[in-house]
Order: sequence, then structure tokens, then C-alpha cells
Amino acid sequence: MDQILFALLNGTIYGLLLFMVSAGLTLIFGMMGVLNFAHASFYMLGAYFAYTLQPLTGFWLAIILAPILVMGVGILVERFILRHVHEHGHAHELLVTFGLSVVIAEMIKMVYGKFAVDYRVPAELNFAAFSLSGIDYPFYRLFMGGIAVVMFIAIYLLLTKTRVGIVVRSAIYRPQMVEALGHNVPMVFMGVFGIGAALAGLAGAVAGAFYTTNPNMALELGVMVFVVVVVGGLGSMGGAMAASLLIGITNSLAVGSDFRIADLLTWIGMGGWAEEIGGLLTMRMSSLAATLPFFIMLLVLVLRPSGLMGEKE
Amino acid sequence: MGFQKFARGTAAMALVMGAATAAQAEPLKIALVETLSGPQASTGLLYRDAVKYQIGKINEAGGFGGEPIELLEFDNQGGPVGAADRVRAAISEGADVILQGSSSAVAGQVTEDVRKYNLRNAGDEVLYINLGGEAMELTGSKCHYYHFRTSPNAAIRVNTLLDGMKEAGVLGDNVYAMNQNYSWGVDVQDNTVAAADRLGFTVVEQTLHDVNKIQDFSPYVQRIQAADADTVITGNWSNDLLLLMKAASGAGLDVRFGTAFLDQPGNIGNAGAVAEGHFLSAPFNAQVNPEETSAFMEDYKSVTGHYPSYVEPTTVFGLMLLGEALKSVEPTEDGLNAADLAVALENATAETPMGPISMRADDHQIIQPMIVQEVSKDAQYKADDTEYGFVPIKVISAADAEQPVQDSCKMKRPG
Repeated sequence: MDQILFALLNGTIYGLLLFMVSAGLTLIFGMMGVLNFAHASFYMLGAYFAYTLQPLTGFWLAIILAPILVMGVGILVERFILRHVHEHGHAHELLVTFGLSVVIAEMIKMVYGKFAVDYRVPAELNFAAFSLSGIDYPFYRLFMGGIAVVMFIAIYLLLTKTRVGIVVRSAIYRPQMVEALGHNVPMVFMGVFGIGAALAGLAGAVAGAFYTTNPNMALELGVMVFVVVVVGGLGSMGGAMAASLLIGITNSLAVGSDFRIADLLTWIGMGGWAEEIGGLLTMRMSSLAATLPFFIMLLVLVLRPSGLMGEKE
Repeated sequence: MGFQKFARGTAAMALVMGAATAAQAEPLKIALVETLSGPQASTGLLYRDAVKYQIGKINEAGGFGGEPIELLEFDNQGGPVGAADRVRAAISEGADVILQGSSSAVAGQVTEDVRKYNLRNAGDEVLYINLGGEAMELTGSKCHYYHFRTSPNAAIRVNTLLDGMKEAGVLGDNVYAMNQNYSWGVDVQDNTVAAADRLGFTVVEQTLHDVNKIQDFSPYVQRIQAADADTVITGNWSNDLLLLMKAASGAGLDVRFGTAFLDQPGNIGNAGAVAEGHFLSAPFNAQVNPEETSAFMEDYKSVTGHYPSYVEPTTVFGLMLLGEALKSVEPTEDGLNAADLAVALENATAETPMGPISMRADDHQIIQPMIVQEVSKDAQYKADDTEYGFVPIKVISAADAEQPVQDSCKMKRPG
């Protein structure tokens, strides 16, 4: 029982981390129709900025300042690069952001070196929140989860309950009309892009200390974030949340399970045959765990191409 | 890329101009086919530093046949496909020896390509020196006469590690085998299980997981805890090792890790106190034979700008053996006869700061001393500017570290 409880909790927290990064990506796509390949690079920048600031300002100020810096980078990227490419269509945007992600990764390597840096959870946060059947649960995990939840609520309220939210949402559907009403639409887009980048930066600043801060972290998370956004439905904030949790929890449960397809076939008397065939049939679930998200994505794309909660095809 | 080409061109030009005044024979060309760009480049660049250092030493001592050896560099971009392509390019540029180290998957491709090339081009063979692909199959089912491994293999790593930990009294009764799901990880797992009876421990559980895809290792840590393990033996490297250790420490788990690659730069810096007390078995430790070793350390630093670590010492030692072998080979008109060099390598021995090393003729596996070491504050040389470093616990002589030749190696010798 404790095992499953831990697995659920771990999965939820990991899912919330995925949400923190994918929130910005799906927000930018939903608002601007830009599929930002460099989004995970903002996550990496957040971690490296916080790592650089930490000795100067302390941990707390570092995780507040790092996202603001990343927001600055995001705004510059939107204003001076993406805006010029936007009119040429999606392929150009994809290529530009892809190029950008490579440039950022190489620049990080030039400045900080090729290996992981020693960005760690500060001592005052490095304690066990509680202990269950002999395993400590690190407080910092709950802290990361908490930040993600606060972020979700804040974005949701901002978009649905404030005037800014109304302008932003209407700018997606009828940009010309909104502009005619006297709102500065390019400015709105720039702001949305900046905030999306800042969210990824915050996730990086917080998670970089817990996991590792290295020049590959954007690549490692980047793929998973795209899976989340596709499964949840491009542009849907609620979908991103649902998909993140789904992927986090299935991943966590699968790792702990020794289930094999052969065991299932034993029930209908075909166990012997399955053992003979081997291969995929006798593979343990735990060694397939990291492949499951892609399997989920495949299923979703086949059965519901718009994603769990997406509206756009 | 452009700059590299330019630099390579200039170097080649300088060599040609130097050569014009010397003898007529073609210089020996050695090609390094490594991952020099992209996310996995960090290790490839270490191989390059070490190779440049030792080829430089050989050239200082007169090179080969009175000519300096020419080092060509090829970027395989991290994958077997790129490597296959670059190996072809290297051979067509006249390389007689191919060097490659990172990833057993890439090594598997290179060794097959070299084997096939040699089959089709009898009399004009090329040699493959495997600097670091440690999967068993490379000196097992895939072994062939022109492949030489200068790094340890899974059996050597695991058995020396377990022996050393047992002797230090830290192995415990319950061992958990946690590994990456590919040739190398599977080999580590198999060798751990195979040693259980000999050393009297139980393998409580074995897990294979995806390579470098997992961010959150806490579910695995939970399994370690549930299995009541005292020690985790793992061949994991890079992030898979770091994240596993950090997750275990975060969960307050009291297990000791026995590892193969904990000395990778950045690991100790990132893990900090989390790494303390964990074990490593590697062919080098800076505190063994202090006099010769520190001379080597300082000289290496003066040339490359950093102390040798991780794959660098082994690579240098392997090329020392190559240098010794080259001394007993007569240059031919078109440079070098690879078959002569293969015979010379089998008979060569080199004196390294860690002790004498040699090449086993039966499967072309290097026989070298291994050092079981522990992460501790008492280390003389600290890693990654932290207060921690590696303290030698047991030096295992080359003879004791040796593992039997695999039955699957059916090496066809020429003639």
C-alpha cells in the first residue's frame, strides 16, 4: 500500500514539473500559434541563471530573478526574431526556434563547460518532509509541486478573470478587431511569449537544483514536454495539466511493476506460447517505463488527434 | 567546422613541409573517430585531449619511421550511423589505425566495419583500437584480429569492484543490480549475478532501465528500498548515475553504490556529499605510485590544461602500448603494414604509472591493473574543485584483474 502511495505521489510531483515547463509552451501555442522548439532551452537558461545568481543573491532571490531574466530573453527573441519570421508561416518558425535551441545549448557549453554544474538544493530546504515505511520523502519535492499548483491557479485566474486575460484571449481569435479597438496586439503577443518563457525559466530554476543542471537538460526534457502538449491538446492549459499528470503517474507506476504481457496471456492459457516467443511479450513493464509516454501519444493521436482537451486539429 | 578544417589543413601543411626534407616514406596516419560535437561530445573531447597528448609524446620521441605521426580527427556525431560514415572517410584518407572510445554501441559498429573492410582488402588492412567500448561482445562474439581494446571490460570492472568492496567489508549480503538497458548495462548485470556465489552475496533484484531518458529516479529508489539492498552495483554513467544517487540520498536510503564511471568530470561536483563513501573500480588513481603518477599528472596538465581523469589516463596508457608496438615495426613503402602492427601489439608491454600493461593475444583485451577506490574527503587530488576525491582502497594487479577469455571469441588469425 505504501508502495503505491509513494508511486502516486512521485508521479504527481513529476507530472507537475512537466506541467511547469509545458504550460508556457502550450500558452504560446494557444495564443500565437507558434510551436516553440526552443522552449526547453528557456528551462535550461532558468537553471543556469539561478545557478549563477545563487552565490550573489542567495537561493530565494535567485529563483525569483532567474525567471525575470529568462522573460527578458524571451521578449527579445519574440521582438527581434520571431516577429519577422511569423508571416512566413509555421515551417519558418519551427526552423528558427530549432536553430535557436542549438545556439543556446552551444553558448551554455562555451560559458559553463560541458559537464554538470554544482547547482544543488540549499541546505535549509534539504530535509525530509515525512517518512513512510523507511523511506524519507524530500521536502523539496513537495515544494516543486506546490509551485506548479500555484502557477496553474495563477495562470487560470489571469486568463479567465482579468481584463488582461480577456484582451489576450480575444487577440487570438480576432486580432484585427482587437487592434481596431485600440489594443496593441503585437505587444500582447510579446508579453505572452515573455511570460511563457518565464514560466519555463522558473521551472528550470527550481528543478535544476533538484535534478541536474547540465547542457543536455533542455534536450532531455524537451521531447517529453512536446509529448505532454500533444497529448493534452495543443493550446489547452487544462489539457497540459491532465496530460502531465497522466504521464507522470503512469511512468511512476510502470517502473514499480513487474507486469509482463506473457502473464496476461497465461490467464487464457497461452502463457507457454508467449514465453517461447519472448521479445516484447516477456519484457518487464519496468524496462519499458520511459517508452510509455510515446505509446500514450500514439494512442491519443490515433483515437483523438486534437488531444485530450484540445480544440484545434 | 570551418575552423577545424582550417586547423587540420594547416597542421597537415606543416607536416608536409617538414617531411619534404626528411625521408620519402609516407607518414603513419592515425584517425580519431569520436563524438566531437552535440550533446554527447563531453566524453569524446576528453578522448581527443588524451590522444593528442600521447601522440605528441610519441612524435617527440621520433614518431614512426623517422616521421611524425599524423593525427586525423573525424566527428561521428554520437551515433553508429555517423561513425560508419566517418570510418569510411578516415580509411579513404589513408588512415592505418582507427581510434574510438565513447559508447559500446558505436564501438560495435566500428569494429564490424573494420572487420568487413579488412575482409575485402586483404593486404591493406586497418587496425581498430577501441579506447573505451566496454561491452563484452567486443572481445566476445564480435572479436576479430584487427580489434584491440585498451580499456577494461564489464567483467573486469564488476569483478574487481566486487572483490575490492568485499575485502573492504562494505559489500553487504544483499546486492541490487541497477543498469541501463543496452549491451554494456546487461553485461554489468550478468557479471554481478555471476559473481554472487563466489563472493557469497544475494542479488535481491535486477533492473534494466532506459538509457538517459529518466528524469525521476525515485520509483527505482523505492524498489531498492523494498528489496532491502545493502549495495547497488551499477554501470550507469552520466545523468543516469547522478540522478540515481541523488534520488537515493533524497529518500534517506542507506545504501552504498558500487560504480564504474563515478569519476566522470562533473559527477562529484554535482553530487557533492551525496557521493561520499561510494565505490569505483577504474584503471587509474592519482594516489597510486605517487612519484611516477604525479609526474604524469603534472605533465598532462602542462600540456592540456587539466589533470587527467575519467577516460583520459586509460587512453594515454593504451597509446603508450601502441607506441611500444610501433618501435618494433618496420615501416614499409606505403607507411605501415597493419598485420605487422597487430603482431607487435600482441607482444608489446608498456610501463605505466599504474604498473605494466600488456595485450592478451587470445582476444585482444588489455591486461592492466585496476584500482578500487572510494569517494572521500581524504583524497590528495580533489575532483571538480570540491573537497572530495578518490582514495585508493585496493590495487588489483594486472594478473589478478584478468578475466577468462570468452568462449564466444573465435578469432581468425591471418596465415
